[in-house]
Amino acid sequence: MNFRLVAYLVGALVFYLGLSMSLPLAVALYYQDGSAAAILFSLLISCSAGGGIFLLTRGHENFHLGHREGVLIVTLGWTAAVLAATLPYLFSGTIPGFTDAYFECMSGFTTTGASILKNIESIPPAILFWRAQTQWMGGMGIIVFSIAILPFLGIGGMELYKAETPSPVVDKLTPRISDTAKALWKIYVAMTVVQILLLMFGGMSLYDAVCHTFATMSTGGFSTKNASVEHYQSIYIDFIILIFMFMAGVNFSLYYKLLKGNARPFFRDPELRAYFYMTGSLIFLLFLDVSGTIYPNLLDAFRYASFQVVSLITTTGFFTADYEKWPAFSQQILFLCLFFGTMAGSTGGAIKIVRMVLLVKSCYLEILRIIHPHAITVVKLGKTPVPQTIMRSIWGFFLLYAGIYIIGVTALTALNLDMISAASGMAACLGNVGPGLGSLGPLDNYAGVHAIGKWLLIMAMLLGRLEIYTVIVLLMPIFWRK
Amino acid sequence: MAEEIMRVIIIGAGEVGYHIAKKLSDEKKDVVLIDTDPGKIRRIGEHLDVQALLGSGTSPQMLRTAGIQEAKLLVAATDSDEVNLIACLLARSLNRYAVKIARVRNQEYLQEQSLFSQDVLGVDLIINTQNMMVKTILDLIEIPGASEVIDFVDGAVKLVSVLISQDSPLAGKTLRELGTHSRNLLIGAIVRGHRIIIPSGKDTIHPLDLIYLVVKKSDVSTTLAHLNMPTQPMKNIIVVGAGGTGMAVAQALDKPNLNVRLIDQDGEKCKSAAVLLDHVIPIKGDGTDRDLLQEENAGDMDLIIALTGDEECNVLISLLGKELGTRRTITRVSKLSYMHIVSAIGLDTVINPRMSAARAILQHLRQGRILSVAPLREEQAEAIEAEALETSDIVNTPLSELNFPSGAILGAIVRGDEIIIPRGNTVVLPHDHLIIFAMQQVVSQIESLLTVKLEYF
Repeated sequence: MNFRLVAYLVGALVFYLGLSMSLPLAVALYYQDGSAAAILFSLLISCSAGGGIFLLTRGHENFHLGHREGVLIVTLGWTAAVLAATLPYLFSGTIPGFTDAYFECMSGFTTTGASILKNIESIPPAILFWRAQTQWMGGMGIIVFSIAILPFLGIGGMELYKAETPSPVVDKLTPRISDTAKALWKIYVAMTVVQILLLMFGGMSLYDAVCHTFATMSTGGFSTKNASVEHYQSIYIDFIILIFMFMAGVNFSLYYKLLKGNARPFFRDPELRAYFYMTGSLIFLLFLDVSGTIYPNLLDAFRYASFQVVSLITTTGFFTADYEKWPAFSQQILFLCLFFGTMAGSTGGAIKIVRMVLLVKSCYLEILRIIHPHAITVVKLGKTPVPQTIMRSIWGFFLLYAGIYIIGVTALTALNLDMISAASGMAACLGNVGPGLGSLGPLDNYAGVHAIGKWLLIMAMLLGRLEIYTVIVLLMPIFWRK
Repeated sequence: MAEEIMRVIIIGAGEVGYHIAKKLSDEKKDVVLIDTDPGKIRRIGEHLDVQALLGSGTSPQMLRTAGIQEAKLLVAATDSDEVNLIACLLARSLNRYAVKIARVRNQEYLQEQSLFSQDVLGVDLIINTQNMMVKTILDLIEIPGASEVIDFVDGAVKLVSVLISQDSPLAGKTLRELGTHSRNLLIGAIVRGHRIIIPSGKDTIHPLDLIYLVVKKSDVSTTLAHLNMPTQPMKNIIVVGAGGTGMAVAQALDKPNLNVRLIDQDGEKCKSAAVLLDHVIPIKGDGTDRDLLQEENAGDMDLIIALTGDEECNVLISLLGKELGTRRTITRVSKLSYMHIVSAIGLDTVINPRMSAARAILQHLRQGRILSVAPLREEQAEAIEAEALETSDIVNTPLSELNFPSGAILGAIVRGDEIIIPRGNTVVLPHDHLIIFAMQQVVSQIESLLTVKLEYF
């Protein structure tokens, strides 16, 4: 293990993260909200700490970045980036406790959107901007971002990329991994700009539009309003955010292919179809349940049902209604949404549609083999066969996901959280969704959770974002052996 | 005018080449056969009245020796697509006017239409036995109960062969009796054991006869129902053998409403089948294993298609299926000498790649306005579809006054939408489509009857 190299790259990452604080600094200076000094101070500390480590450990430009280094850099990089990101909260005094600040930052970078803040509207705009910005950066992945801007990574970039975006089907879109990362970020930025303009067209201020777009495109879900998107009471804004949440849940490499003029894979993509049909049918079920009862008007029922399903299945976590007042079946559907997640290669979290589809197919084929003992079966995604090794890793992922979830829920109940809150809160954090049910519902927050519980949820968020293997492998003694 | 004897060069003395050589030599053509295998050349020399040359079809010198400059026709029928295509290319440069027929199997080549155009290879006819067999099988699935289905008039009229069972209402009746109670029923030929009969009104239908019916496409199911033949569609099918043909058939049957299994011994083939097919279930195992067939519920299946590379296995698979209770079987058998044995032991449908190839080549060679030729059982007889030309002998004369060779029968006249069963006073009009059944010996007389008179001057 080349620790010097790990420190070198993590240092670079923290340095760049510090630099990115100049954006909230500009916001602070514009609004004169009194947080400018705190942010400037955070910026200087991050840059000097990160830059210092970077300079101390340099001289390894001819490095070899292996799989193990890649995994360690990604996990450590995320932990360190979150640490640096807590500084503006701590220095400005918006969040005094370190645990709470770390929770909020982890929730931001992992695009979870779970918050411990009670009265969001009382927080200085620059800090809220930073909160939204952490989501936007975490959405596409801070490592993918580094690969895009750090040309010296070279082939090692692929190791990092695989560790941060461990989707079952890795698409290397361009011959060079840094070009792939750049292409993905360009698409991400372009969609962000379009959404900002569309939201401003609907009457949002530039500041609100930027913050909400950051939280939408990253499928994060931090709002600048206490009542989230419900605050605006606008069908247009609901609709725009719904569309962009859904689009953020699509595999970004499909957009790349679409831009290259190749529309066929986009519309033929089996995962996209499954994503579309799954979302559609959940909306329909929810619509049936709430129309006539909660919402006498069918159009209203459809509006609120579709927004809530899309918001939770894309793991965003915005809300336009207090769904805890909805019937039990509706709440159960939304609870299910916490697990499904979006397409692999999107900014969303949770188990991911492609894994669900492949697991269901694999189960079906196992049953088929009972009827036809000599049948030869191959799990396929569309027309492409999925190798056994990938299928095994998906089964492993699923089991680990379920195991971590069950242990997490059990631990949370041991910390005096009721069962509904514990079950939904753990699912919402592990799946990077945000709001759960019960005492962790859309109108509540995570402030009341026990400190140990918060660290558990922080761990869950990181595990969920890096899709478990990258983090859990560090806990294996064999990983550290020479 | 003295008729010039046609010189034909055939490259490749494999199953297809041998068979075409025999066929053409029987028709008094000058046939030269080229092959690289001395054993095959010796066998040809012993059995056929053709000139057999040892050498490569891709050698220009060999083609010159075979007389390519005077040849009217070159048939490249080796097992290698590349050899066939290069032979055609060479023939094109040595003799621009020769008609070139090539056997091509690789689907990728077949998709490149421009490759075969006059500018590049100049292949006049591509023979792909696999595609032909697949089409034959699909036709048989579409018309359950038929042993053979041949399309005429672009599929509007079908020639359907049916095996007469012991309890069929037709058994024991003469054709004249049948003609009175169903006008739609036209029997063009009867195969009885080794013999093929072009029937007249006096002939009687026996049980186990194979009868060839001429039927309009829309009447197929009512006619078959009338004969007590099963007409419900085939849904449960086992295909044995995942080679090229088996895979192509399975792909055509890969539909959610069908229950299809593909059995092969080769695990890798099964795997690639599983990748390619969505609804067909690939099963690894020996198709001749009775336990496996039972496990896959062969007894309740509508159809077993045996398409392995080993024809003895195919026969056994179909027999096992029959024994277990499968409703129907389709068996691929390449050796013509097996074909009548196979029907004698009760297997209803036998398909033969060589027969398909021969059929396509013969059709290409026929003169006059012959549109389609189908060899019937062992090729003692042919079913010919022809268009009646204004200047040919056959038109505008009542049939009774026509010098129609015995051993041939004008089976049906297709005029527009109508199928006419000809009688003595029927007159053929120009542009009628005629379906003629003829014994092999009289085919050339039929040809001259159909040929435009002007051609003789």
